[in-house]
Amino acid sequence: MIQVRNLSKKFGNLTVLKDITMNVDEGEVVCIIGPSGSGKSTFLRCINQLEKPDGGEVLYNGRNLLEKTADIRMLREELGMVFQNFNLFPLKTVLENITLAPVLTGKESGEEASKKAMRLLRKVGLEEKAGTYPKELSGGQKQRVAIARALAMEPKALLFDEPTSALDPELVGDVLEVIKSLAEEGMTMIVVTHEMSFAREVADRVIFMAGGAIVEEGNPGEIFTSPKEERTRVFLSRVLHV
Amino acid sequence: MEFLNVLLPMLFRGLKVTLLVSVTGIFFGFILGSISGYALQGKNRIARVAANVYVWIIRGTPLIVQALYVYYVVPVLLDMNLSSVAAGIIVISLNSGAFISEIVRGALQSVDFGQNEAGMSLGLTDRQIMLHLIMPPAFRIMLPSLFNQFIITVKDTAILSVIVVNEITKEIQNYAALSFKTIEAYTTGAIFYLVIISALIIIQKNIERKLV
Repeated sequence: MIQVRNLSKKFGNLTVLKDITMNVDEGEVVCIIGPSGSGKSTFLRCINQLEKPDGGEVLYNGRNLLEKTADIRMLREELGMVFQNFNLFPLKTVLENITLAPVLTGKESGEEASKKAMRLLRKVGLEEKAGTYPKELSGGQKQRVAIARALAMEPKALLFDEPTSALDPELVGDVLEVIKSLAEEGMTMIVVTHEMSFAREVADRVIFMAGGAIVEEGNPGEIFTSPKEERTRVFLSRVLHV
Repeated sequence: MEFLNVLLPMLFRGLKVTLLVSVTGIFFGFILGSISGYALQGKNRIARVAANVYVWIIRGTPLIVQALYVYYVVPVLLDMNLSSVAAGIIVISLNSGAFISEIVRGALQSVDFGQNEAGMSLGLTDRQIMLHLIMPPAFRIMLPSLFNQFIITVKDTAILSVIVVNEITKEIQNYAALSFKTIEAYTTGAIFYLVIISALIIIQKNIERKLV
C-alpha cells in the first residue's frame, strides 16, 4: 500500500534521513521506535508530504507522490495523521473539530458529518464532550478527539506521530486502547512511539531507526527478544530497564 | 463657566467628525491592513514587496505630511476635487492600514503552525486552512492591538485640523480664535479628549478581559 524507496531528507547541511526503504501492506500495523533525533517523525511526515523529501520515492498504491502531478491533497484525505501535540482547533467545539474537514472537502453534508462524528466520539468514549471546547479537555481526551477527527475522513491508513508523548503517564492508556481497537479492526497504521510494550503487543512489524536510517526491522518478537544489531540491543536495554 | 455654553456644542460637533473620520478610516484601514498584512507573510513575492513599500512609506513620513500631501498635492496631480473630510478619511485609512498590516502579519504568524499542518493532513486546501483555521484565532489575537490602534487613530485625527477638517481640535482652535479665551479653550479641549479616550480604554479593557 505504502512503499518508500531510498528516501532521503536534509535540513540544510544536516542529513536527517538516508536511504530509507520500507513497505507497509494493507491492514498492517508498523511501529517505528528509536532514540530521539533518529528521524522517526521526519520520516513519518515525509510520507504524507508535510516534509518534502530530497530524494527517493514514496509510492501510495503504486503512484509516486513526489511527482509534480501527484495530488497531495487527495492523498492526505486518505492518509490520516495524529500529532504529538494534538493540534485541535481551539475555537471550535469537539464536534466541529471532527465535522470540519468532511464538510469542507464536500464529502458529507453537515448533518451526515455530525451523525458520524457522534458515532466516532462514542467509539473513543467521549460522546458527552461533543459540545465542549478543546481547552476543557485533558491531554488524553484531546488526543482521542484528534483520532476521531482523523477517522472522520475515513482514511485508508493512519499515521501516528508519537501520539502519547505529550500525555501525563496515567492518560496514556486510554489513547493506546483506542489505537489498539483500530488495529483490531484492521486499520493500516504507522505509529512512531516510545511505548515499547504497546509496540510489542500491537505491531505486526517493528522498525528500529537510529541516525536517520533503518537499523533493523522484524516482528516484535524478534526485535524485542533477539535483536540482531548491537545498536538495537543498546537502545532496548536502555528503554526497557529504566 | 459660561464659555462652556458655546464651547461644548462645538466640541460635540467636532466629536461627530472625529468619530466619523476615525471609524471609517479604521474600517478601510482594517481592509487595507488585512490585505497588506496577509501579503507581508505570504508566498507571493511581488505582493510582499508592494506591501513592504507601502508600510515603509507610511512609517517613514509624518502623518501631518501625509495629510498635507493627500489634501493639497493629490487633487492637483489627479485633477480632481477632494473635500477635506474625504481627504482626512483617506489619510487615516492609509496611515492606520500600514500599522494594522503589521498587527495582522504578527497575528497570522503567531497562530501555531500545527493548525496549518492539521488542516493539511485532513486534505484541506490552503485557502480553507487560512479561512477556517488561521484567521479566526488570528483575529482573536489581534483584537486588543486593533482596538489600541483605533485609540491612536482617534488622537491622530487631531492632525487633520491642518487640512481644515472640523474635528475636535479644529473646533477648539476655532473657539480660541473667536473668543480669545485660549486657556479655557485648550484646557477644556484637552479634558474632553481625556474623557473620550478614557471611555475607549475602559471598553478595551473589557474586551481584553473577555478574550482571556
